[in-house]
Amino acid sequence: MAKKLLHKTLQSYIIFSVVILLTTAPLFYFLTQKLYLEDAEESLMLSKNEFLQLSLPNFKESDVSLWNKFNRDSKIYPSKNLTQDTLFDIFYVDSLTSENEPYRELNSPIFIDGKPYTFVVKINLVESEDLLINIVLLFFILITLLLIGLFLITKRLSNNIWKPFYTLLQQIELFEIDKENQLPYRESNIEEFNRLNQSIEKLVNKNLIIYKSQREFIENAAHELQTPLAIFQSKIDNLLQRSDITKEQSTLLESLNHSVSRLNRLNKNLLLLSKIDSYQFSDVVNFSLKELIEKHLVFFKEQAQSKNIEINIQFNNEIDLKANIVLTEILINNLFLNAIRHNVVDGNITIILYKNELTFSNTGKSETLLTDNLFARFSKSNSSQKGNGLGLAIIKKITELNNWTITYSYSDNSHSFVVHF
Amino acid sequence: MKVLLIEDEIELAENIKQYLKSNGIICEWANDVHLALDKIAIYDYDCILLDLMLPDGNGFEILKELKNQNKTEGVIIISAKENLETRIEGFNLGADDYLTKPFHLSELLVRIQALIRRKNFKGNNKVIFNEIEIDILSKTVTIKDQIIDVTKKEIDLLLYLIGNKNQVLQKSSIAEHLSGDMADMLDNHDFVYAHIKNLKKKLNQAGSNDYIKTVYGLGYKWING
Repeated sequence: MAKKLLHKTLQSYIIFSVVILLTTAPLFYFLTQKLYLEDAEESLMLSKNEFLQLSLPNFKESDVSLWNKFNRDSKIYPSKNLTQDTLFDIFYVDSLTSENEPYRELNSPIFIDGKPYTFVVKINLVESEDLLINIVLLFFILITLLLIGLFLITKRLSNNIWKPFYTLLQQIELFEIDKENQLPYRESNIEEFNRLNQSIEKLVNKNLIIYKSQREFIENAAHELQTPLAIFQSKIDNLLQRSDITKEQSTLLESLNHSVSRLNRLNKNLLLLSKIDSYQFSDVVNFSLKELIEKHLVFFKEQAQSKNIEINIQFNNEIDLKANIVLTEILINNLFLNAIRHNVVDGNITIILYKNELTFSNTGKSETLLTDNLFARFSKSNSSQKGNGLGLAIIKKITELNNWTITYSYSDNSHSFVVHF
Repeated sequence: MKVLLIEDEIELAENIKQYLKSNGIICEWANDVHLALDKIAIYDYDCILLDLMLPDGNGFEILKELKNQNKTEGVIIISAKENLETRIEGFNLGADDYLTKPFHLSELLVRIQALIRRKNFKGNNKVIFNEIEIDILSKTVTIKDQIIDVTKKEIDLLLYLIGNKNQVLQKSSIAEHLSGDMADMLDNHDFVYAHIKNLKKKLNQAGSNDYIKTVYGLGYKWING
């Protein structure tokens, strides 16, 4: 799963910190302990040297019991047959707390009045352990505070540093090439972001130019076709007036005429699509959808007559729209003609206004249409159909322009197109 | 009736001229702004057919010049350009009608006739063909002094047929004329048959002659007896 950029950075920081903490903490502990032991040993040696240099020269054998009586951590015992100083750890039961406590002890061979004795110095390590624990704890707290600080600063800094990036990202996400919203250029104080901004701006502008020229090309091509089509049409109109047309010729003329009408419609529809694309229908008014449909009902009933199609109306409520009325008319007309064109003889069409939905249901071929490319230009679900493959594309375009949605469904031998306003 | 056609496309101009001529309209032709302005300055026309994109300028210049010279000729713009702005600009500059290419010549003819009727309007606006009398304003049809019951569409159809009398009219051109803006989406012209049938019946019932003739495979024709 993709993670957020900031999380990725912070994750690395956290892993690094934990590893550092886990490896350095024991290291620190042992190092401190070692240093403390060294310190303790030094202190023991110092005690011994003090005794050797300051006390021993005047020490009598009779003083041993007295010394042992008043010194708690420094004793003189009969010789343990040592030849040199020995250091070791040892536990003694503390008479006050009756607990076993760790000691570091130095045994050193000495001679009093020519007789061998052992000089014993010990130092309690309990306090040192407390100290050690405190130091390690302090170290922990310090490191943790440092890490939290680092974490927070990184987070804040990253948020700030990456802010232009996220703004840009959001703008790119909202950007649609066929909508006229430009990407606003933002100056950043970070060189990489400036470069990114500039590159994206360049990319977007280039694409806009290509898109615009493509759109203009379609519009111009369609416009340029109008004149030759007009010549074609007028020649047929004149040819029809000749009185010497044979039956064979009239069949030819009829099919020519049929083709030129088809060309005309195709061209007009292409023009319409490119006009919608270039926002030539930008004026919007408030109107009632119900009235708009009723206005054209007579015309469509007329159209439906040749197939003896019954039109049922179920207007449950009014729908008030704020849109371009010409385009909405085209939408309704296309839906209507679609429902008539793909209908069967003696079929029916049901128009429903309910809540904020307009439904056109019609009888027709008893199989569902392939929905994948249903609304794409020139996608005809059946090649034998008469439509020019632009009707549904126009419907889709108009709904998109107004932020409406259109869906197709098939059930019980009925094809339904639902416009959701 | 005299019409000035301002159009740079020679093929189209020839066809328009020919069609109008066979309907008794004299058509003069100018292929650029310069020649058109010369002709307008010298002659008076009943109607001007104006293409907007001309080799030496824009058709709007001619509209402005007509206004400057206080000419009252009716102007029909015939243009391949079809958008709201050019339409509005055309009407603002004094054009009376706007026809987008491609169009049927029969459509152009009835537009010219309607325009001239409006221009020459003196109290009454009537089209009379033998015993049939159509009042454009009150939308009534009178046959032998008897008002007959016809729909708006049937009057429209009647005017279209009479206007193009003795010409073969294709079903598609009638369909486009009757359906107006919706024609671009229409691919079935069967409804024309129903309209023709109804109109024929109503005219016959009122005692009118049968002028509507079906031309096999091509369409219909209004013939004078």
